[in-house]
Amino acid sequence: MPMNKGPKNRLAKGTVRRSVHLAALVSTLATTGVVVLAQSEPVDPRVEGLTFLGEPVLASEVTAGQQLYADNCASCHGANLEGQPDWRRRLDTGRMPAPPHDDTGHTWHHSDRMLFQITKGGVGAVVPGYESDMPAFGEDLTDAEIEAILVYIKSTWPERQREFQAEVSANDTGG
Amino acid sequence: MKSIEIGCRPNRRKVLTAALSIGVASMLPGFALAASDGDPAALAFDGDTILLARGGLFVSDDDGRTWTAAETPGNVLSLATHRDRPGRVVAGLAVGGVSTSEDGGASWRVSDAGLPDGEINAVAIASRNSDMIYASVRGDGLWKSEDAGATWSLAMDRPWLDDAEREPLALASVELETGMGGIWIYAGTEVGLARVPDCFCRWQDVQPGNAMDALVAGEAPPSEAPLPGGQPILSLASAPSAPEVMYAALRSGLWASQDGGVIWQKRASKAATAVAVHPRDETYIAALLGGILKFSRDGGATWIETGEL
Repeated sequence: MPMNKGPKNRLAKGTVRRSVHLAALVSTLATTGVVVLAQSEPVDPRVEGLTFLGEPVLASEVTAGQQLYADNCASCHGANLEGQPDWRRRLDTGRMPAPPHDDTGHTWHHSDRMLFQITKGGVGAVVPGYESDMPAFGEDLTDAEIEAILVYIKSTWPERQREFQAEVSANDTGG
Repeated sequence: MKSIEIGCRPNRRKVLTAALSIGVASMLPGFALAASDGDPAALAFDGDTILLARGGLFVSDDDGRTWTAAETPGNVLSLATHRDRPGRVVAGLAVGGVSTSEDGGASWRVSDAGLPDGEINAVAIASRNSDMIYASVRGDGLWKSEDAGATWSLAMDRPWLDDAEREPLALASVELETGMGGIWIYAGTEVGLARVPDCFCRWQDVQPGNAMDALVAGEAPPSEAPLPGGQPILSLASAPSAPEVMYAALRSGLWASQDGGVIWQKRASKAATAVAVHPRDETYIAALLGGILKFSRDGGATWIETGEL
């Protein structure tokens, strides 16, 4: 399975951002008219203090990610990112339950690159041979959609967790 | 406290020691070890002081030449110390949870608030935080305390190896980066070695750092020489002065790794039941081999029996 290895081979972020931006722009034009555009105000502001793979995150990505999370992730990880009950205890199958994605879990210990790899390729993409109930979403979601889900999750973290995870991501050289 | 001499040279001290009663002699580490090498035992360095738990708790301040019987908090199954916190000793008990000493074992306080009942197979103190203590509760899981044992919470279930959950019999906080902003916790289990990042995301096999790169690139995996499978890992130590240097005690012998547990080499062939490494010298180790306490100053290449250092 092809995987992104680091900033140089990362997602086609330019394409992603352009798509999201364009969609937001079209929506804006349709609802408010060209007059609003002429005022030169940002139609899709950056989210303060939030990046993904080192680049700013747009508000529209977070919004899109929230819906994608609800559609694809919430059934296991919880509508409020709370994870499955008693998630530190194994299931009878020997596999671990879905952990929370809020600040009570461990998601914020993983770099952007690793979170993307796990979501796209499954846990086995980062831990060879590891058995997990979480599927690889690479067949069902585009890279842009996976990124949107992850930035939504990141947007919910308190400042301390965001800063910790940003440092982990910055130190992740792809090795 | 009672001073007990177990030196091997034929000097006055040894003669006096030999004159002690048989009852006292049974308390000597050497006697106890020679008598029953299958019993639980634990070793730890507290600075230059060596602690030995076996049929009691014994302390030596002179490289094992003489020993003092210390207060024991109970039947000690496991011990942990920390290079930056001299005097702090954590003991995992057969009954009663975890006890902690701040004075090298002279006095103890029970540290079991929140811990479930059960034998404490293994304990470890986090390399980067001497107030963070880990304890493995038999039949339950891995617990952690962030306040030096005052309170406990479940960290994670036990490792999954060979299609079953396995008891951690030994724990070591290994100060090697996980890439997740923390370090590793290694567990020696009934059947082999496992490790978990200290964020507790998942237990996993010990693999070379570039294993994933090789997998992605379709290249041959890096070479590995794991510990012999199917054998209980009774004791595990990572050198604080060189965390990639590790030692493991198995029935097949004393094993050493220079790369964080990827490649292991046998350093002694007699059954090993406990091992500890000096906090400032990764080549200075103490181990119970064939039931006898021995020391090595060269990472296990050569060994000297107790009292002859």
